[in-house]
Amino acid sequence: MTARLTEVPPGAQCFVGEEARLRRRIEETVVAVFEGWDYEEIIPPLFDYASVFALEALASKTYSFVARDGSVLALRPDFTSLVAKIAAGRLRERPAPLRLYYSGEVVRYEPIKAGQQSELHQMGLEHLGGDPRAADAEVLAIAAECLERLGASGFVLALGHVGVFAGLVEAAGLAPERVLALRDRVESKDPAGVRQALAGTDAPKAVVAAIERLTTLSGGLEALDPALEAFSFSAKASAALEELRTVAHALESAGLGRHLAVDLGEVRGLDYYTGLVFRVFARDLGFEVGGGGRYDTLVARYGRPLPAVGFMLGLDRVALLLERQGRLAAMPRASALAVAASDLGAGIAHAVARRAESVRIRFGNGGPR
Amino acid sequence: MSLTVALSKGKLLAGSDALFRRAGLPFPNGEGRKLVVPAGELRFLLVKDMDVPTYVEYGVADCGVAGKDVLLETGADVLEPLDLGFGRCRVVVASPAGRGFAPDRAATTRVASKYARLARSHFLERGYGVEVVRLAGSVEIAPGLGLADCIVDVVETGRTLAENELQEVETVAESSARLIVNRASFHARRAELQGLMARLEEASR
Repeated sequence: MTARLTEVPPGAQCFVGEEARLRRRIEETVVAVFEGWDYEEIIPPLFDYASVFALEALASKTYSFVARDGSVLALRPDFTSLVAKIAAGRLRERPAPLRLYYSGEVVRYEPIKAGQQSELHQMGLEHLGGDPRAADAEVLAIAAECLERLGASGFVLALGHVGVFAGLVEAAGLAPERVLALRDRVESKDPAGVRQALAGTDAPKAVVAAIERLTTLSGGLEALDPALEAFSFSAKASAALEELRTVAHALESAGLGRHLAVDLGEVRGLDYYTGLVFRVFARDLGFEVGGGGRYDTLVARYGRPLPAVGFMLGLDRVALLLERQGRLAAMPRASALAVAASDLGAGIAHAVARRAESVRIRFGNGGPR
Repeated sequence: MSLTVALSKGKLLAGSDALFRRAGLPFPNGEGRKLVVPAGELRFLLVKDMDVPTYVEYGVADCGVAGKDVLLETGADVLEPLDLGFGRCRVVVASPAGRGFAPDRAATTRVASKYARLARSHFLERGYGVEVVRLAGSVEIAPGLGLADCIVDVVETGRTLAENELQEVETVAESSARLIVNRASFHARRAELQGLMARLEEASR
């Protein structure tokens, strides 16, 4: 096979000039918000032992390779596993809560469609330890501030809680192999599919009806009230809803209510979430801009039991959203002072002198271009 | 901006028309060859049935009407809140009448289908390694001409199968028209979409 050397493999990304400047500005805006909430930057390695990356959903999408000593390594497909490992390892003596943020690329084997990419830049943070409800509220407030400062309009943080679905499935007494098919239908808000997935099981009728309601219980925060009533038979689901309500009301009192929605059918996501989950949607973009949630068992996997919550925004998706909403003011390159002289020594001396004054220059020796 | 609705130009168009009119919603009047048609408070896209989920998944359309068969085949990540009740059909495996069909006895079974993905997963899940030949249409003639051992295709009445001397072996999936909704629009344009959904649900009862 002799592909031309200028051919690019599917999914490889390249940004030049203004595109790169716009991305950098988005990144700086988001990082300034993270810093403003006193999060510390972490620059984790590009690769690590493959076993570090815990997310089952990403396992088949991970670029892994064998090192010279025979160990299996992987390019990072996400940041959260790495941050959890570092919090439990190198930072084990640091008292909780730990507030850490990152901004960088991850790679995945991913067919490129509808916002999915194989090379993507994530900007996110992890809040490890501390009071869980306070941390949940903090992370949501940070997510909202990022989008506000970026100038995004019509964005929504859609909140769910994995405990609601888990509680109802428990009450239905479902065999684990049936749960996946059911979850898939709940994720698609497909009530007919939910009924079908539960047909022929021993699940009590009232529980079947309750699970079916997961597909329709979404909307403003008022959707929590009928849910509390409908799911009162499950202590687990009720506790999850109370948690959601506490966090949602706190954010409402901070004036963020207009950005919040409840989506109890939000059961997607990587299997490690244990509590609140949320996705960020906006007008003009057909897929989520970012998302996050609580994962209380992941860090213990690396030897330090520490509840945690985090979220991330996809830089590529944010850029696309802002472009569609006309929020990306052009960033033309500043003009440069031409510095040239027929004598190379005099010319470069002049250039160096102007650079000492931080003047933007373009150096040329007057010869052919 | 008005909501955008993706519709199939194919067999679901008449049913969609009847449903939207019953719901008191505007509908493109079928004149002309325009494929992007504003009508009342809605904007319609008229596209190929297999493309409806794509327009909705990308958010180019906020919602659309697609057959469950098409949703299973495309695997698009969209919401499916309403079974609209029309366009009922089944996707089945069919093989030449009288010849019998035993994928477990063949080293390789060739399956001709428009539903390549659905056909592949149907057999692979049962432990049969099959070769799927993707065709764009006239799938029923493939077994008679020796292109395939069987087909996976959609049946409504079964007449086409009989005319081509094929008999149904098993059902792969049941299908009917679904309202599909883009995940982001569902939240970002909630009020408008919920109004539309409520009217369609009422009219599809």
